[in-house]
Order: sequence, then C-alpha cells, then structure tokens
Amino acid sequence: MEFRIAADELKKALHRAQGIVERKATMPILQNVLVTATKQGVSVTAFDLDIGIVSDHPAEVMKPGAVTLSAKYVFDIVSNLPEAQVTIKKLPNNYAEITSGSANYKIVGMAPEEFPKLPKEETGQLVKTVGGTLLEMVKKTSFAISTDETRYILNGVFFEPREDGKVRMVATDGHRLALVERQLDGDFKLKGGVIIPRKGLLELKRLLDEAPEAECSLGFAENSALFKKPGLSMVMRLIDGQFPEYQRVIPKDGEKQITLVRARFLEGLKRISLLSAEKSNAVKVSLADNQLRVTANNPDLGEAKDDIDVKYTGAALTVGFNARYLIDVLSVMDTDEVVLEMGDEHSPGVIHAPNDRSYTAVVMPMRV
Amino acid sequence: MKALVSAIVHIDMDAFYASVEQRDNAQLRGKPVIVGGHPTRGVVLAASYEVRQFGVRSAMPMAQAKKLAPRAIVVPPRMHAYAEASDAVFRLFETVTPLVEPLSLDEAFLDVTASQELFGAPADIARQLRERIRRETGLPASAGIAEVKYVAKVASDLAKPDGQREVPAGTAKAFLAPLPVSRLWGVGPKLEATLQGYGLKLIGDLAAHDEEWLRARLGDTGTHLWQLSQGIDARKVNPDREAKSIGAQETFDADVHGEEALHPHLHAQALRVGRRLRSAKWVAKTVQLTLKYADFTSLTRRCTLKHGTDDGQTLYREACRLLDSVALEKPVRLTGVSAQNLAPLGTQLGLFEKAPEEKTRKLNQALDAIAQRFGSKSIRPADVDGG
Repeated sequence: MEFRIAADELKKALHRAQGIVERKATMPILQNVLVTATKQGVSVTAFDLDIGIVSDHPAEVMKPGAVTLSAKYVFDIVSNLPEAQVTIKKLPNNYAEITSGSANYKIVGMAPEEFPKLPKEETGQLVKTVGGTLLEMVKKTSFAISTDETRYILNGVFFEPREDGKVRMVATDGHRLALVERQLDGDFKLKGGVIIPRKGLLELKRLLDEAPEAECSLGFAENSALFKKPGLSMVMRLIDGQFPEYQRVIPKDGEKQITLVRARFLEGLKRISLLSAEKSNAVKVSLADNQLRVTANNPDLGEAKDDIDVKYTGAALTVGFNARYLIDVLSVMDTDEVVLEMGDEHSPGVIHAPNDRSYTAVVMPMRV
Repeated sequence: MKALVSAIVHIDMDAFYASVEQRDNAQLRGKPVIVGGHPTRGVVLAASYEVRQFGVRSAMPMAQAKKLAPRAIVVPPRMHAYAEASDAVFRLFETVTPLVEPLSLDEAFLDVTASQELFGAPADIARQLRERIRRETGLPASAGIAEVKYVAKVASDLAKPDGQREVPAGTAKAFLAPLPVSRLWGVGPKLEATLQGYGLKLIGDLAAHDEEWLRARLGDTGTHLWQLSQGIDARKVNPDREAKSIGAQETFDADVHGEEALHPHLHAQALRVGRRLRSAKWVAKTVQLTLKYADFTSLTRRCTLKHGTDDGQTLYREACRLLDSVALEKPVRLTGVSAQNLAPLGTQLGLFEKAPEEKTRKLNQALDAIAQRFGSKSIRPADVDGG
C-alpha cells in the first residue's frame, strides 16, 4: 500500500478519530485507526466497539492496501510535518513509513486483519435532515445526561419521534431533565424511542459542528444508529433498555411563574454561586414582593446575594438549587426572556421560553 | 513579629475506659480497676494505673490478671459512656484551635501554631486544656508538645500519667536519641529485629547513620525511619473540615473473635463517624471498613452509596454488609469505619424518587439535640452500651 495525501486531509481524519479511540483500550488495536487505500481514495476508520466512524478523503493512491496506525502518535506527527503533502507506504511486518519533505518516520503498526469489523450498515431507514436542527437538539439536552455509570439507562439521550414529523430528545441524570421538540421531517420507523449513548452523541455534536448547515442523514437499525454526511459515516450501538417515564416528572403549569431577562438571571447565578460551598454549588432562590433574590452561604468564606426585579406578588418562597443546573439550562437557551416556574421548596423548578414549551428544563431543588 | 514556630499538641487520655469507670463510680476511685472484656473470654480491656503497679496489662487473660491483683475490681465495658466522654473532650479541643485531628476516641493532634497569639505558649495551652478536661469531664489526660506530630506523640507517651512534656524547637533529635527503635512509627517486632541485626538499638543509633546508609538497606522505609529519627515529620494536622475522609477506628485491648462480637464496635464507630460528619456538615458517598487481624495483616473493603449520607445507622448497616463479605479467619485486633468521598451537606432531591432520608434526617436532628442537652447517654442504640 502506498498513497500520497494532503497533510490537512489526513489531520482532519485523525482529528475525527481522537474522541473515539480508547486511550486505555483493553484491545491495543483499538488505539489505532484503520487506514484503507482504494482507487476512490483513502478512508480512515476509528472504532471502540460501540462507536465507529469512517472518514473518506481524496488521495493519490499508488498501490491499494491497508495499515493500522496509532491514532494519537500519527495525529501528532501529521500536525508537525514540514510539507503540505505526505506519503504513507506500508513496509513489511506491519510497519508504515511516513514521509513528508525531509521528514521520515517508520512506525510500528498492527495487522489490519485484526481490526474489528464495524456493524453492518443498514441504509434503508436513513432520514435526510438539516444538521443545524439536530445540533441544536443535542446542545440543548446533552448537558443533562447522567455520567453515573450505575444509571446506565440515563447515560444517553432519549430520541423519540412524535406526530407530524416532530422529534423529541430528552436527557436526565435523575436530578434535572431537559426536553426539546423540533421538526425533523421523515419517518424514522421507530416504535417508541431509542437511547443514544452520551459518547456517541458528543462525537455527533463534534461532527455537526464542523459544518452545521450541511445536509446529513440519520437512521436507526436493530440496535444501532447510523449518521452520514458527505465523506463521513458513523455508526453507534444504542443503549438497550427502557427510558424512564419522563412525562410524569414534568410539572404542568406551576403556581408561581415569573419572567426573567435570561442574561440577567444567568449572570446573577454565576456571581453568587462563586460563594457556594465547594462541589455543591448550592444557592437559594427566594421570591418576595416583586423581587427574586439569589443567595449563597459558605461557612468558610461568608455570604453573597443578588437581587433581580421581577413581577411577583404571591407568597414568599425560598428554594435551594444547584446553581450549575440552572446555569447549564440558561446557557443553552437563546431567547431574551425565560419563564421560571416554582412550586414549593420540595418541588421542581421549570424553565422554558415565554409561551413556548418546546424546550423545557426541569430542575429538582436541593435541601439546604 | 517573628514567624511562629509550628506547634503541635498531642493529647491522650490516661487509661481512658478505666478512668471513666472511676469517675462514674466513687467506689472505684483510687482502687485497682480492670475493665473486663467478654465475660466468657476473660481478658483485660483496660487497666487503671492503680492496678498496673501489680503488672496487670491490657490484653492479659483475666485469670492471670486476677492472680497478679486478686483484689482488683472488674467492671464490664460501657462503650457508650466512653463515646460520650470523648465527645465532651473533643468539644474542648475545638475551643483552642479548629485544627483538630482525631486519632481515636481518646487521642488527638491539635495544631496550635496560630493559637499562640490568643492563648499563649503551647505548653500553657496544653496545661490549661488538661485542667479544663479535668474540671469539666473529671478525667486525666497527658500531653506532648513538639514541632511535629510524631515527636508530640512520643512526648505524651513519656509524660503519662497525668503529665505533659514539651520538646522545644531544635531539641527533637536529642530527645529521641536515647529511646529504643520500637518507639519509631512503623517499627513492629519484625522490623525491630531487623534493625537490631544492623546493631541499631536506640533511635540515636539510627540517627547517627546517614540517610543513604539506611535507604540502601531498607528502601523507602529506611528514609522514613531516618527522617523520624531526626525529628522530621512533614505530615500536617488534618481536621475533619478539610479531611478527605472521616473515620473512627479502635485497636482492641484484646483480640476479638467472630463477626457478632465485632458488631457493637462497628456500631459505636459508625455512630461516631456519623456525628462527626454532621458536625462538620459533610455527607459521605463511600464507606470503608478496615480490619486488622491479630497477625497484623489487614484488609479494607469499601462500597459506594447511591446518595451521600451523614447517618451513623446507614454507615453501620453498610459496614456490616462489608463485614459479611469477608470470611473472617483470624481473630481481629482492630476495626475501623471510615466515610470517604465527602461532599458538603445540601442534599440534591431526585426527580424519580421521593426523598427517602427525610425521616432519618429529622431523627438525627432530634438525637443530636437530645445529646447536646442531656448528654448522649440519655438516648442510645441498645447494642452499643453493654452496661
């Protein structure tokens, strides 16, 4: 195998692979990418047994074939080459030679036959969609995914097609929940919903971020998801299980509703939570006559408060929250104003845009 | 103002269990008292100073103790009374410095470096503290004062009973030199024999060599021992509020056989950890059980909880579960329960489950309030107090 490729193309392929290759893989070959040269060009495959991506790139192929290369080292090498072009040639015993101008490397590889096979693509159900919408949905929910491995079912986003071409994405870590509903025309042919794992979703976010307006397609097979855009395809294993009944925990209209300038509330939370006890991020949100007050109290440092004028005439109320949870929500919203709904000190806080619940976040209080 | 020299006070209660018994029962004062273990097993758990002069020591079979001191009075242990006395003593520590590191029920390190401005020289602080302990709890305590933890602990050992000893800055090496190497932390009978093989009997013998000499023979242990012999000990006093873990452990005066016999000890330890978590306003997500067998081999088991807790009963349940997972083969000389993975109190409520610990929290609040007002003896779990 021998081919010549623009260093930037190869770097892009390896950059895409970085998030997927396992640093501490139980199978050493999973730290490598599979590089395959054919008459059509070069494809670079990264796979961690759950998520795989295949990235296609134009190249001048002198001799077709395949090698596997360390994703990390070769990425660093390609980022430091003297020339804009690089030649990769397979040597005996799975060595690969990388040459660019005066620089020459001989790198130990592993047999390409040992690289595990990606799940077979089943392209029947692919739905064309605009990457921007998908990206928005991922951004507005992914922060709420649980990272607690003992709550396996919550380690992903619930992807649920609804009527009229709408799709819901819901994420929760058991303490807070984010729900977004958007138009993604096309029939995903899903009964109920599926759970897309966190790591795959974050990779998807990265790939969408490269070119948000590019057309792409998404589809689901038995227990995997397939994502494609020009020059790239990605498959990932879905989380197998029953997502909790999320609708049950989203309160209907709360008794106490106040409208806030989003940026003002966000800034207030950020500056007051500086004084929250370490790790807990606990703040208190109090409502009284036309005023919302954010306070924090730290036995080692002191106390802080910030008052925001609001329209409110109901009974006084104080609820503790993890400021991080509120900040996460407010940071991904894009309206100037937001509505905060509260019940009592044990009831969840709900945040959505005024007169629009297509994005709704639910945050459970803290007992402080 | 000149920079303050670091000042560590090690306070150790004298014949703690026996002293508590003598305090609570006028009949026992000034008499030879033995706190006895399990009635059928018959070993000495603690011996008052009056009975020590006959040669009675902890862990000695009761039959032998009775032979040495036929007129000694034997009383059963009351763990709960000891825990309560301990709490009272620790509350006094905290009036002097927030930097208190508990070692066990009856021992702690206090970093009083910054307290000198307010309360005077370290030796005066120690004296006043011992007087207050005596006045307010009726119990004798000894103290060691030094620049570092290790030297302070050795000094308090030498000051016993009811005394104190200060090792002024710069004199630690000379103070340690005439002591046997077994006084060094980490030197058990086996290592002691090894050291004697090199002709090292006294700490001074060890200090006379250079570090490389010891390192070449004993590796990291050599460096560690050499540093101690010079009076060098870099460890800081770790108070609960800044601790990574909060634990309670106890070396039994006599080895304990079987799971069942360990339960009351774990219970007392777990409750104590719970109290300390609540007073430091922490919750723990990990519970660790430590066991040390009579042959000094040890093991730890830990588990992670779904929700952080500051409840002693929860810690006790987890500690028992961990103990269940261990096939006890040998008698046990030490158990410890420790709470790790600490986070500040401020329980996050869940979306999908009702707050389960609401009742427990209220119960603990009530128990703490009762204990504060009437003493913790006024209310207690049935198994903890034998008497």
